Amino acid sequence: MRTPWQEHAYHAVLWLVALVFFAPIAWIILSSFKTADQILATPPVLLFRPTLDNYVQLFARDSFLHQLFNSLFLSVSAVLIAVAVSFLAAFSFSRFKPAGTDFLMFLLLSIRMLPGSAAILPVYLMYVGFGWKDTYAGMILFYAMFSIPFSVWILKGFIDGVSPRFDETGRVNGASWLRIITRTILPQVMPGVIAALIFNFIFVWNEFLFNYIIGGLQTSNVPVALSTGLYSSGGVDWTFISALTTVYLVPPVLVVYVFQRYLLVGMTFGTVRGEV
Amino acid sequence: MPALSPAGGVARFLGRRTVLPGLLLVPVLAFFIVWNTIPTLWLLGLSFYRFSLTSGRAPIYAGLLNFQNILNDSGVWLDLSRTLLFVVSGVGIQTVLGMLLGLLFWNSQRLPGRRVALTMLFAPMVLTPVASGTFWRLIYDPTFGVLNAMLRGVGFSGANFLGDSSTAFAAVLVVDVWMWTPFMVLMTLAALASVPKAELEAAEIDQLTWMQRLRLVLLHHGKYILMLGILLRTIDSFKTMDLIYNMTFGGPGTTTQLVAITLYRRAFEAFNMGWSSALAVILLLISIAFTATFIFVLHWREKAEA
Repeated sequence: MRTPWQEHAYHAVLWLVALVFFAPIAWIILSSFKTADQILATPPVLLFRPTLDNYVQLFARDSFLHQLFNSLFLSVSAVLIAVAVSFLAAFSFSRFKPAGTDFLMFLLLSIRMLPGSAAILPVYLMYVGFGWKDTYAGMILFYAMFSIPFSVWILKGFIDGVSPRFDETGRVNGASWLRIITRTILPQVMPGVIAALIFNFIFVWNEFLFNYIIGGLQTSNVPVALSTGLYSSGGVDWTFISALTTVYLVPPVLVVYVFQRYLLVGMTFGTVRGEV
Repeated sequence: MPALSPAGGVARFLGRRTVLPGLLLVPVLAFFIVWNTIPTLWLLGLSFYRFSLTSGRAPIYAGLLNFQNILNDSGVWLDLSRTLLFVVSGVGIQTVLGMLLGLLFWNSQRLPGRRVALTMLFAPMVLTPVASGTFWRLIYDPTFGVLNAMLRGVGFSGANFLGDSSTAFAAVLVVDVWMWTPFMVLMTLAALASVPKAELEAAEIDQLTWMQRLRLVLLHHGKYILMLGILLRTIDSFKTMDLIYNMTFGGPGTTTQLVAITLYRRAFEAFNMGWSSALAVILLLISIAFTATFIFVLHWREKAEA
């Protein structure tokens, strides 16, 4: 057993570890309240009079609100579509095990294991050929496709954990399959649904390469804005970058905070369960 | 018996055990065919052609020429071995560090503000990689960077970490370790959670040393979960692209050019689609091998735990 003093020291060490990992992000947040001169001051300044100018200027940019909207619209709609269709497929895989289930699950997973530039290359050629480049439908459906593999994996694992007796009871009592799926199974696998939603949301929210390549002016999201809007008047525009990054970091961090229990399931697409 | 209505008949037909499983799969299969099968076949086909988007000429069949060119291209081999080094050293450091920190967080249930502390620890994973890449450039900056200021403060001379070809690779690796060590902490905590409670208590009562806990408790029970974590990191690390895109874009020279960047440059800067397709096919084969290994470990774990 530890003495209270040891306990305090232990807790101090844990906080120190968390703070070390957070320090670069804290530096970004701190910079977002500095003037351009303060950001580039040598030696770096820790104490300064905070300014909100960077945020005022960020939200005054015509393109920024549009890109922020795109980030939100693309990630939310793609993830909702993906989880809905994945849930149906996962139910089928779990309950009926149609021929080729294992192979399909394997193929689905291998899509996500491919480097992004290799995955997007044929899609780029296809989108250019069909004229789907820089369309919302094209972007959302592609992101949905990319969110399906993990969602199917997560949800199948959870549905496997629900006893088929629930289905049988429903069948005996005359419930339709639709009713069984939505009223009996769905409520029991909500943790899986949430894990699939948040994991894929964070992925699409932060995604850069695909949007950069198959998107365009109309559909570009914030990571693309950040990457293409780096420079202004000859130098890197650090005030813009730090304010933008700080704003953009809020939703994923909130998600990690609120849904911490689901983080592990999401990050391992359901192959590892448990809470931290 | 209820009266047969057309709607009821349709519902009964769709609900049959032979129809329903397929029906439920239709949306996912549609996605899969349009956004995966067709593009992959397209890719496979193009890899046998000479095709440049900038020339404006139609693709010319070239047999295995693209593959031969890639295999004879020492630059590609260099990029692949650099990627291998990046994966092995990055994932290696993340695993060791993550396991140590995971063990440290083992008994942290009573930590005041635990949820906030863990959110801060996990934040690097959810920060947009292009943003991390960009901002670390400022942190590493030889003149304005906070890292050099701190080094100078304790008497070292500063360095141009990202601009100097002798340090750039290590500097990028450090950022990758910063981003993904929290993931291995998460996996270690999951592995620890899979250890029977009685053994945890026994380890506590027996006052096992750290090495003993690591070997007897964590590695014994959690090895499959840790292996899955290492595999996931390996696959993800092999794909690293967004982080480097804004940090160094492969430079200086090609010192941080991982294979995803190589492909990006050939496909979307040089628009050499035939050659790039062939490289993408090779990467696809590597990814399939990774995935197969992953699933193998997964089944192995299920069998061991059953």
